[in-house]
Amino acid sequence: MNAGMGFKLGHLQSMLLFAVLISVAFGFLSRRRPIERVKYIVWSLFLFLLIGVGIGWAMYPFSH
Amino acid sequence: MADETAVAAVPPQDLKRETIALFIGVAGWLVPGLGHALLKMWGRATMGFLTVGLLVILGAGMRGNVFSSGANDAFDTLGFLADLGTGTFYLAATKLETNGADVSHAGGDYGTRFLATAGVLNLLTALHAYEAARGRKA
Repeated sequence: MNAGMGFKLGHLQSMLLFAVLISVAFGFLSRRRPIERVKYIVWSLFLFLLIGVGIGWAMYPFSH
Repeated sequence: MADETAVAAVPPQDLKRETIALFIGVAGWLVPGLGHALLKMWGRATMGFLTVGLLVILGAGMRGNVFSSGANDAFDTLGFLADLGTGTFYLAATKLETNGADVSHAGGDYGTRFLATAGVLNLLTALHAYEAARGRKA
């Protein structure tokens, strides 16, 4: 892979990738049973995105 | 009367277990996922290797800042320590980023965060493996 070419990712894509990877890692580390892991990953991902988008909208008035 | 300041002797098996746990923790830091692999926790080992690896590849590919030991200020030092948390993947990140860092764009800034997160996540994973090797519930 030529990483020198660089990845072109948007804000939402970067946030989504970050949230998915960290949610999966937290899910595997903190839960043992597969079904509990899936529940944790989905819930964690939802909260990551909700809080990320929420903070984005909260900052919106200051950028104008 | 017994000397109350005397330190209780550590049983040899506990010392051995502690040494093995320390070895597993260091192995987990050097190669993401190796600590859990040595404990035969394959799911967590695979997860550790893949998530830290992907974060490093994405971070370097987005031209994030891979901090070096020659830090200019406290933030650079903290960044270096976080990046160093990826163990041997730190060397991979420096090799992958052939064009150098570019934090003038949002992509490079995200890349810097990805690399730092990979390091901190790997430290957390290595600490988890260490605690599991010590017999703590994991």
